[in-house]
Amino acid sequence: MNNYLNLLIGLAMGLNLIALGSSRLPSLIRAVSAQGIVLGLMPLLLEHHPDWRVLVVVVATVAGKGFVIPWLLRRAMRAATIERELNPLVGFVPSLLLGAGGTIAAVAFARLLPLLPEHAGSLLVPGALASVLTGFILLIGRVKAISQVCGYLILENGIYLFGLLLIRSTPLLVEAGVLLDLTVGVFVIGIIVDRIQRAFDSLDTRKLTVLRE
Amino acid sequence: MTPGPLLLTAIVALAAAIVAGLRWPRAWLGLNLLASAAAFGAALSPLLGGPAWEWFGTVTVGGETPHLRVDAVSGIFLVLIAVVGAAGAGYSREYWSDGLHPASAPRSRGWWSGLVLCMVLVTTVSNGLHFLIAWEAFAVCGYFLITLERKRPAARAAGWLYLVASHAGTLGLFAFFSLLAARTGSWDLGPMRENADLAPLVWLVLFGFGVKAGVFGLHIWLPSAHANAPSHVSAIMSGVAIKMGIFGIVRFSGWLPTPTAAGWLVTGLGATGALLGIAFAFAQDDLKRLLAYCSVENIGIILMGVGGAMLAVSQGDAGWGRLALAGALLHVWNHGAFKTLLFLGAGSVLHGTGTRRMSRLGGLWRVMPWTAGFFLLGALAVAGLPPLNGFVSEWLVYLGFFDAVTAKGTSAWVAMPAVLMLALAGALALASFAKAGGMIFLGAPRTPAAARAHECGRWMRGPMLGLAAICLLIGLVPVLFWPMVARAVGAWHPAWNTMEAPAPIATLGSVQAALAGVIVVVAAGLWWRTRANGLRRALTWDCGYATPTARMQYSSGSFAGIGSGWFSLVLRPVRHWRRPRGVLPAGAFRLDRVPDVVLARVLTPMSDLILRCSTAVRRLQHGRLQDYILYVVAGLAVMAVLVSMGGVL
Amino acid sequence: MTPFLEGLLRLAWWLVLAPLLPGLINKVKAWVAGRRGPPVLQLYYDLARLWQKQVVMSTLASPGFLIGPAVAWVALAGAVCLVPLGPVGAMLSFHGDALLMLYLLALARFFTAWAALETGSAFEGMGAAREVSYAILAEAAMVAAMLSLSVQTGSVSLVTMLAPSAGPGAALLAAGLFTVLLAENCRVPFDDPNTHLELTMIHEVMVLDHSGPPLAVILHGAAMKLLLFSVLLTEAVLPMGELSPPAATGVLLAGVLGVTIGVGLVESLLARFAFRRVPLLLTTGVLFCLFALLVAWKGGRA
Repeated sequence: MNNYLNLLIGLAMGLNLIALGSSRLPSLIRAVSAQGIVLGLMPLLLEHHPDWRVLVVVVATVAGKGFVIPWLLRRAMRAATIERELNPLVGFVPSLLLGAGGTIAAVAFARLLPLLPEHAGSLLVPGALASVLTGFILLIGRVKAISQVCGYLILENGIYLFGLLLIRSTPLLVEAGVLLDLTVGVFVIGIIVDRIQRAFDSLDTRKLTVLRE
Repeated sequence: MTPGPLLLTAIVALAAAIVAGLRWPRAWLGLNLLASAAAFGAALSPLLGGPAWEWFGTVTVGGETPHLRVDAVSGIFLVLIAVVGAAGAGYSREYWSDGLHPASAPRSRGWWSGLVLCMVLVTTVSNGLHFLIAWEAFAVCGYFLITLERKRPAARAAGWLYLVASHAGTLGLFAFFSLLAARTGSWDLGPMRENADLAPLVWLVLFGFGVKAGVFGLHIWLPSAHANAPSHVSAIMSGVAIKMGIFGIVRFSGWLPTPTAAGWLVTGLGATGALLGIAFAFAQDDLKRLLAYCSVENIGIILMGVGGAMLAVSQGDAGWGRLALAGALLHVWNHGAFKTLLFLGAGSVLHGTGTRRMSRLGGLWRVMPWTAGFFLLGALAVAGLPPLNGFVSEWLVYLGFFDAVTAKGTSAWVAMPAVLMLALAGALALASFAKAGGMIFLGAPRTPAAARAHECGRWMRGPMLGLAAICLLIGLVPVLFWPMVARAVGAWHPAWNTMEAPAPIATLGSVQAALAGVIVVVAAGLWWRTRANGLRRALTWDCGYATPTARMQYSSGSFAGIGSGWFSLVLRPVRHWRRPRGVLPAGAFRLDRVPDVVLARVLTPMSDLILRCSTAVRRLQHGRLQDYILYVVAGLAVMAVLVSMGGVL
Repeated sequence: MTPFLEGLLRLAWWLVLAPLLPGLINKVKAWVAGRRGPPVLQLYYDLARLWQKQVVMSTLASPGFLIGPAVAWVALAGAVCLVPLGPVGAMLSFHGDALLMLYLLALARFFTAWAALETGSAFEGMGAAREVSYAILAEAAMVAAMLSLSVQTGSVSLVTMLAPSAGPGAALLAAGLFTVLLAENCRVPFDDPNTHLELTMIHEVMVLDHSGPPLAVILHGAAMKLLLFSVLLTEAVLPMGELSPPAATGVLLAGVLGVTIGVGLVESLLARFAFRRVPLLLTTGVLFCLFALLVAWKGGRA
């Protein structure tokens, strides 16, 4: 059981690196949606006797993270007719190396944390830390609003992984809340993206600094 | 024969050579060669299994009894001094002859012998006070050799930087030796591993000797000094003088108890230094600067080995430390041989063309076949390629660290990244020397100066031939040299004093020899076949372009462009360019320069800050008597307050 | 005398079989494209023809232009002597031969670059610069792969290192080594072995000026390098040492064939990458090997 879970988390970590290394917007969105699906399947492995509530959560997460949000992002991308090549602030190779270093550091660091014995062997915590870190690197290193949303999504995936630690004690309340927040956030950003596009003819968030006065 | 009389002969001959050098070049050369032979003999005795030799004087010098010692560790370095000293002296007879440099040639000879003498003393003297005196004299000789061409501002600036850095290091050594004397109660030096409260002094050793060795970060003086000194001086500075820093680190890390952290630090510094040093080398256009940065890399490799050995000792004498240290000590010899060879080759190029810039050279193999051949050999050796000597020592260091990884101790955490960095450094070294050799000797001459070049004479060729032979010999028969290195390792750490060679070194030697033989056979076969089929000469095809010119060749900057671009975060290249504009563009150019990042980005801003602060403080010093009296009164008042508060508290 | 003859026989296997691989790749490519393609033995014919041909040499080139390919070929032949051939074992094996193999490959690279620079052509300079620069990352990946195999088996000798499978990190190691194979042998996403006279080449552009026997030697060396990497990849990933000799031979052959077909498929389905994306791909290869190392480390501890 634990091995399959670790395999999935390893996959999610690999998708983190793919997200960092992808130089085009569609492939970034694809990586994020794949990660969403992978994460969505995890509760099935964690719960030994999945009841209907877990099934609902799994279906909702896979649908939301894997299909709905990416679809919204793709629509926003198409609506805004933006250039699909990303021009990063932090280059692809440096951000890839940073992400890899962060992943290794997360694995090393998780060993130092006082975890429950049943979580000690799993990659849940390192995976969560690595995803949060990847999210931050994307947020810091990318310019376009949509790639920033992808950064937020990966960040949220990391928080979700943390949430899985509590799956026994809380019935995924935290997760539901975060997911709801995020969906609203994506909607709002979708609208804002549209407005920014109309106002500035560009989606470069650096240009928003013009608004500070 | 005991080393005593031989060492005495060497010292007397060198002292005489200082005087002879001013007037009689032939006698000077003879004395130098004699001294080298004597020093070589003296070093050989402990290396071949004789006991360590010690001698105490009867009269005191500066209040201390002279104490000389030649053991296997000092023997390794003494051999290096002897060989490179002789090679450089012979080379300078033609390269820096009275005819070419009437004003500075006598000075060159005098300071040269002085430098060699001081280095012989540094490696043999075993008294802290006398060591410091010899060390200081050694630094001063180096300064005067670097500034032989004192009319050139660049040489003066380089010498000045060298002197300042060197004294910063000496300051650390003063602190080290006086603290050592204070804690042990005597200036006499020797093994003192049991005295545990000496352990913190290792940090001073690392700083003081690290500056001289050119450890990355403390290397700021090295590139400009080695680039601007005359080539025979660069050769001995790079081949031997910086090894004196290594000697100090090896000597005292063996004699003093070392904290575990020191092993980690030395290994880490060595590995990062190896990688960054060679990254800087790759980006250079000045041939001698490239070689100088490459020395920073090789010092890094040596330090990796030494640090690995220190780590292994602190973790229960693990066997892999022995391999790493043996690799490091063998690399001391190897780097001495091939770097001297390369610098002498660079001198020959400079002699023949008058420029060190690779983008102005090219096609020199035609007029300088000897230099080209020697340089190629040196390049192969420095890139650590089989079947030459550089590979043997790098292989030993690699093997030591691989064994550390497979042993799965805590030291694997430094061994894994160190091996990766060494691999990167090796690939970069290959790239750097493919570039250097290709740009200088292959293709077509890029400037008229390169087209008018001429080959060097016999006196310059001879030493290069000798050094090339050493590179080949160590590469093809490493078993011959293993016992000497193993004895030095035993002298460093008595627990490793076992004589048997790790089996593969004999196998490696025979493989290398076989490889060399097969290369000769196959090359001859291909040559014969080509001759038999017929050989026609034609214009370089160049994708059908009919009138190629020499300026269209790939230049050194473009060759290094991709690789140094990856390191631009560290290298910080300075670029100036003007793009071609319009239909018939005129005057477009692009200049790339890679200044030393530690000097330009760390030390210069820091010294500027110090200068600004001291200028601000200097305002207090204006010459008005009344204010000075005010200072005195204010000072007294402050002291009064302090005293009274002390009373209260 | 027998071990010597046996060694020669083993080397002969490498030398004879190597030129088969490029032919197989071309056949796979032709098959995917729906063509008949050149015969599988095409490279043998080419080599035989080139060996008879006259040599045209640039007026600028030194004797190094001829010696370079010879040294590179010897270095590659030396490297294959160190690689074990499944159940037969290696011709020569000692503690630390893995490092000698890596540095023999480096020796070959140095002399290929050297011979390219001989001509003074801007194109060949470009190719040499790319070759040595990309090798920096490839070398890091190779050493990371060697480290992970060493950690796995506790040895630095290829025969022992390649005997068991790479354990839990096998998939990662396979991906990493396959990337390095493509880069070091100048196959498609990095380089295009089919084009000539384009500014986007690495290996082909370095040998533009070579002709006759030296070119034959270069082509044969390249084929040997490809075979070496395929064997290395197969043996690193599959548990060769745990199989019976006939099964191991079969698995080795199947593995090499699989790698060859894989290269052919990659070449048919993928376009060459833009040059600025090559470092990214190579870094990914390095990271694969690095993570394989970490997995091996963690697996060995548990």
